[in-house]
Amino acid sequence: MANHLPLDDIKVLDFMWVLAGPGITRTMADYGATIVRIEATGRPDPTRTVGPFVANDTHPEKSALWANNNAGKLGITLDLSKPAAREVVFDLVRWADVVAESFSPKAMRAWGFDYESLRKIKPDIIMISSCLMGQTGPLAYFAGFGNLAAALIGFYNLVGWPDRPPSGPFSAYTDYIAPRFGLAAVMAALIHHRLTGEGQYIDQAQAESALQFLTLPLLDQAANGRISNPVANYDPNFAPHGVYPAAGDDQWVAIACRNDREWQALARAMDRPGLASDPRFANLAGRQAAQAELDALINEWTARRPPRETEHLLQESGVPAHAVQNAAEIYTDPQVRHRGQYVEVPHPVSGTAWVENSRYKLSRTPARVERAAPTLGQHTQYVLEELLGYSDERVSQLAVDGALS
Amino acid sequence: MLNSCRVLDLTNERGMLCGQILGDLGASVIQIEPPGGSPVRKLGPFFEDQPSPDRSIYWWAYNRNKRGITLNLETAQGRDLLLRLGDGADFVIESENPGAMAALGLGYNDFAARNPKLIYVSITPFGQDGPKAHYADTDLIVMAAAGPLILYGDEDRPPIRMSVPQAYLHASADAAGAALIAYYELLRSGEGQAIDVAATQSLGLAMQSVMLAAPIRASDTRRMAGGVKMGPIRVPLVWRAKDGQITAVFLFGSALGPFTRRLVDCLYEVGACDEAMHNKDWIAFGDELLSGKAPMEEYERYKNVLAEFIASRTKAEIFQLAREKGLLMAPVATVADVLENPQFHDRGYWQKLDHPELGRSFPYPGPFARFSRTPITYRRRPPLIGEHNAEVYGELGLTAAQIADYGRRGII
Repeated sequence: MANHLPLDDIKVLDFMWVLAGPGITRTMADYGATIVRIEATGRPDPTRTVGPFVANDTHPEKSALWANNNAGKLGITLDLSKPAAREVVFDLVRWADVVAESFSPKAMRAWGFDYESLRKIKPDIIMISSCLMGQTGPLAYFAGFGNLAAALIGFYNLVGWPDRPPSGPFSAYTDYIAPRFGLAAVMAALIHHRLTGEGQYIDQAQAESALQFLTLPLLDQAANGRISNPVANYDPNFAPHGVYPAAGDDQWVAIACRNDREWQALARAMDRPGLASDPRFANLAGRQAAQAELDALINEWTARRPPRETEHLLQESGVPAHAVQNAAEIYTDPQVRHRGQYVEVPHPVSGTAWVENSRYKLSRTPARVERAAPTLGQHTQYVLEELLGYSDERVSQLAVDGALS
Repeated sequence: MLNSCRVLDLTNERGMLCGQILGDLGASVIQIEPPGGSPVRKLGPFFEDQPSPDRSIYWWAYNRNKRGITLNLETAQGRDLLLRLGDGADFVIESENPGAMAALGLGYNDFAARNPKLIYVSITPFGQDGPKAHYADTDLIVMAAAGPLILYGDEDRPPIRMSVPQAYLHASADAAGAALIAYYELLRSGEGQAIDVAATQSLGLAMQSVMLAAPIRASDTRRMAGGVKMGPIRVPLVWRAKDGQITAVFLFGSALGPFTRRLVDCLYEVGACDEAMHNKDWIAFGDELLSGKAPMEEYERYKNVLAEFIASRTKAEIFQLAREKGLLMAPVATVADVLENPQFHDRGYWQKLDHPELGRSFPYPGPFARFSRTPITYRRRPPLIGEHNAEVYGELGLTAAQIADYGRRGII
């Protein structure tokens, strides 16, 4: 394995906040980039106020949501209403390869930190702006969280039961998609910069990135005029396909048969050989027509045993099945353990903090997840003195001027 | 940006989006299918509901900006052709079960022995090794294992997934980012590597970190109809307006409380709430609820006031108010609404791709990001089966006669 990290020559000035933006720079930190994350004492990151919290303590340094999205970054506090703080930002721009921000479109312009201004002091800077709906258009200034974008672009209407109003996915769904595209965009711009020396500006509308995940129903609508509505766990290509009750409180097992062979294996595992050979259920169309009848039989069988028992029994027969896992079950899942998905890192307030590992494994240059997210202003002095080379006196003067709060 | 990059894409529905992202970014992507076409082409929906491999909308969805060739990897000559293509490639992307490619002599080591600069991306449900690496899977199974499923749906019914498959899209989008991190490193070191993407692990990012609750001894987050239960607090996210659903955030604390303040001010202005609710400290209220200082019934009362207000307005009225006052509310739109949304038309988002063989063109979702210097372009509709065989194998140095011969022998 290499003894360097793939991005250890990349420096990022990170104004991003909440979820969709910081997810990009978290991954870059995992792979060695130096990330200087700007906060303000008077306006700390909102995720510091959202759980889960260590032992349910709502202390701003104990949010696992903040911890997970900002591990490995350096934290600096600046009061951007102070001219002296803005000078620090310009020095950080000169230091940086990438400037990343996720405010509503007017904020960076108001501070004089828009791309046109920044490229004057650093012509080859790469800048990414990530906001809900994009930098232009009638909804450019519609700001908010990922649940709003997820509702506006169709995701909320695609989770639910046909006989009830849509229930929506879990919370801020577009925030779980946008960072993946944002990272690809920044990396592509960095590759282009490395090859040509040219910087550029990236306008990422989180909604436009997230819509990639709805291409299937969007094209079905455009080509066939069919509106996709929520269908609970029905699948057009597989049957049976559902979530079935298991022994225990809120315990469930998911089962899917991708083909006739898997259906027969399921029927045999249920000790119902008559079902396996019943010609009514021999193909997908027949099983879909009899879905309620088959679901009732499966329900009766799964409800008697713990979900993991059903999972193991069916997987041994090659049938896709898995317990529907909750947080505690995932934490002890042997596959999750095998991949080292949870990482414990030292933390100045909590002793240790828990974060997720990098989501993927690079064989020669694996990620290193060793540092917690910064406490508010934890690295202000380090950044100013070590990265920008400011003198003690200059740092003290900035503090006196109120620029560092 | 990636115009000099060549990608061999061997994926099925588990990985097609990864190559498409690289293609959008300018790479030359060759989608490789078995003779007769990818199994994905058997998946519906189909154009005009006529099942046919070149009418599968599932196929269309994630194969734009790619060329398509057929190649039979069951034959020795087919495998040899793939390795030869690999000699000139920067990326190979595959999504077979762990070990399947290596068993064919087409694993990372087989390519790397000939082309050490190759980046070899593997996308699987559970990862390349470990106790569940060989588990049978679907989108639903991955969602169950990874955690999102238990958080979706109504508390009085089984958990449900999103009605459009999502798990492998998260993994595939991650795979593109990972591939580009490795490519950036390659530009420095000159060396390739293998990348292991597991859909179950990619979905960690899809749960707002609530899966970290176990090691930090925090309350569990659980599903409820149109919202989420955070410990003892029942947080509704979907509300009923006069003509359909909207989403609205009604939460507290230093970051979210100010939005609730503005919302309650609006309610008060139109006489929809009383003085006591108007004067409430919305920053402190969350902690008051958690500590028991404020009873849950008080929260329920406020939610009822808001529900009544929302129920008396149309979705459009609510959205107008949200935009004017900076409130966290938006309509729950259908896919048809999205295609009409003026925001995306104003930004020229939808990209028409011609399907000349059908005499039609369709609006595809547009660029996932706007680059000032190197914009994403839509160069190709998804390929027909073997559409670019002559072109691609010609580039490899095969003569027309050889290509025809390989075709007859079932190799390509």
